[in-house]
Amino acid sequence: MITTGVSGLDALLEKGIPRGSRVLYSLEPGVDGQIFMISSLACSVKQGLSCLVIMPSTTVDAFKNDATAMCGSHLDLGKISRQVVFIDAIDRERIQKSARTKKSQAQEWKARIMRICTEKKVDIIFAYLDLLNEDFGLKTALDILDCGRADARSTLFVEHLNLEGPQFLDRFTREFPFDLVLNIRSSDRPVPYFTYFTLVHSAQKTVPRSVPFLIRNNRIIPYNPRILITGPEHSGKSTFVATATEGPRPVGVSEIDREPVPEDMDYGWMQWRDFTLALYGIPGHIPSDRLIPPTLEHIIGIVLVIDAADPETFPQARQFIGMIEKKKIPFIIAANKNDLAGKLAPATIRRELALKKKIPICPISATKKPDVHAVIDALVDYITQYSA
Amino acid sequence: MYLYKTGIAQIDDVSGGLEAGTNILILAPPMSYAEQLAYAMTKPLQGEYAIVLSTNERASEVIDFFKLAGADKRFTGVIDAITKSSTPGIVDTQRLMFVSSPTYLSGIGIKFSNMIETIFEGDFSEGEPGLFPPPIRFCVNSISTLLMYRRLEVLYQFLHVLTAKLKKTEGVGIYLLNSESFDDKTLSLIKQLMNCVIEVKVDKNVSSFRIHGIRGVNGDWMKFTVTKGQVVILP
Repeated sequence: MITTGVSGLDALLEKGIPRGSRVLYSLEPGVDGQIFMISSLACSVKQGLSCLVIMPSTTVDAFKNDATAMCGSHLDLGKISRQVVFIDAIDRERIQKSARTKKSQAQEWKARIMRICTEKKVDIIFAYLDLLNEDFGLKTALDILDCGRADARSTLFVEHLNLEGPQFLDRFTREFPFDLVLNIRSSDRPVPYFTYFTLVHSAQKTVPRSVPFLIRNNRIIPYNPRILITGPEHSGKSTFVATATEGPRPVGVSEIDREPVPEDMDYGWMQWRDFTLALYGIPGHIPSDRLIPPTLEHIIGIVLVIDAADPETFPQARQFIGMIEKKKIPFIIAANKNDLAGKLAPATIRRELALKKKIPICPISATKKPDVHAVIDALVDYITQYSA
Repeated sequence: MYLYKTGIAQIDDVSGGLEAGTNILILAPPMSYAEQLAYAMTKPLQGEYAIVLSTNERASEVIDFFKLAGADKRFTGVIDAITKSSTPGIVDTQRLMFVSSPTYLSGIGIKFSNMIETIFEGDFSEGEPGLFPPPIRFCVNSISTLLMYRRLEVLYQFLHVLTAKLKKTEGVGIYLLNSESFDDKTLSLIKQLMNCVIEVKVDKNVSSFRIHGIRGVNGDWMKFTVTKGQVVILP
């Protein structure tokens, strides 16, 4: 088995990736996901495996420099020099100069890869696909990479930049038998930058699972997304958290999830599409400078619960809005007690709270599960499909 | 909505500047002052930021231009796709980032996102945080070089992502393309991603431009030069 060095991913894959697998790391444009490939390389080198890295866009020195910057001390450059063979941008230029037709270039690529794999008894090939795909098309590019694993014992890791969207990704599971497909993505919203990976396809597990991650101390730290539930006193925050919570308590994917929940907070959880969300309800009394307790970081969004039938609490709600806006965290309004007489209409609430048009207001009853789930739907959609 | 002053009176006087989210193509032959025009339009004014993706010259040269033009270098970032090929050990800073070559679109996209993120988080410069979203001018110098290394279709998709991202962040984009090196199909495909086009020509060593696509701005040719980062319209 081969591990990736990404704790949440290795945990999802249970024992790791079986030898001989084909693995795809698909990066959406602009998403800082190169560390998945580098981390997998570092782990393989640490395991004493012999590797071939194919990187037609860059040179060996530039690659080593980038890899060191990404992985720090996790990457052993001494072992890299002993265990890793490279085919780089200079080799690509040589191939292009020596072979005139695409067909003969493809043959030259294959010959080089086969020679290295045989001579060095390569266990794992790490390949950056984009330029090979552009030079030869996807089928031939993958044929070239596959030629080094003729006995199917070698494992293949491929990274590519997906500019074409989900249809292109589908090809890696339908047309080409990749065993593991990981899509590394981010929310579309510029701030906060919410980066996550989705296990799109796995030969071991079929259920898609998405996990947000941070890069800290040269390591990928996955975590369950956190949503803060806040609002004036008696607006229904605790009810909201209790109603939303369902299913078994989630297992933490990293040390972030294992941080204790502050005593004065409500804690709940729910499954939203392929994410496991953690919900934290904070008390109505909070000092003005402490909307988010220092122990609770990495909030992806906030639900501000207000009592739609009690406009006297609106000045306090305005204070919360001011605090949230300073933090620049996306938020939506859950206008609770919508089933009571005297509740205000969303348009009135928007006016009274001086809310911008783009902030969604969801009229709900916090005792009704579908209402509460609709709020979470609206918040996550607001975060991930943000448009200015 | 924030308006970006261009330093070109014909635009600024009529519309107050470019609307946030505008992407402009500068279509120009070589040696036509187009690069200086693009940089003059990219120069950050007070409270603004500039990011230049340079595929033609080193970050130090880009920064020199902005310094000479009177821009505060603390608000200018460069993604340099040149230097790393000769100096692989060069290290990124907040404002200067390096990718190994213009072919490496993954790297360019990541550095662009990182820089935008740093600006949004207020960590780009030591100055006081100003407007939110922060006004960002982004310049690609040049699309021509990127087209030398990557297929048109791939680059179109890549630029589509960049221009869309810039719209969302409420920035403006200024993109340089050599008008003499590419066929009509290439030019028209790239134009599809833009809101307006500034066409540049050179006649007897004098450069002129005309503007297409900005309401109220006439499309007449105007002679110009660029002095110390300022666009000067000649009689």
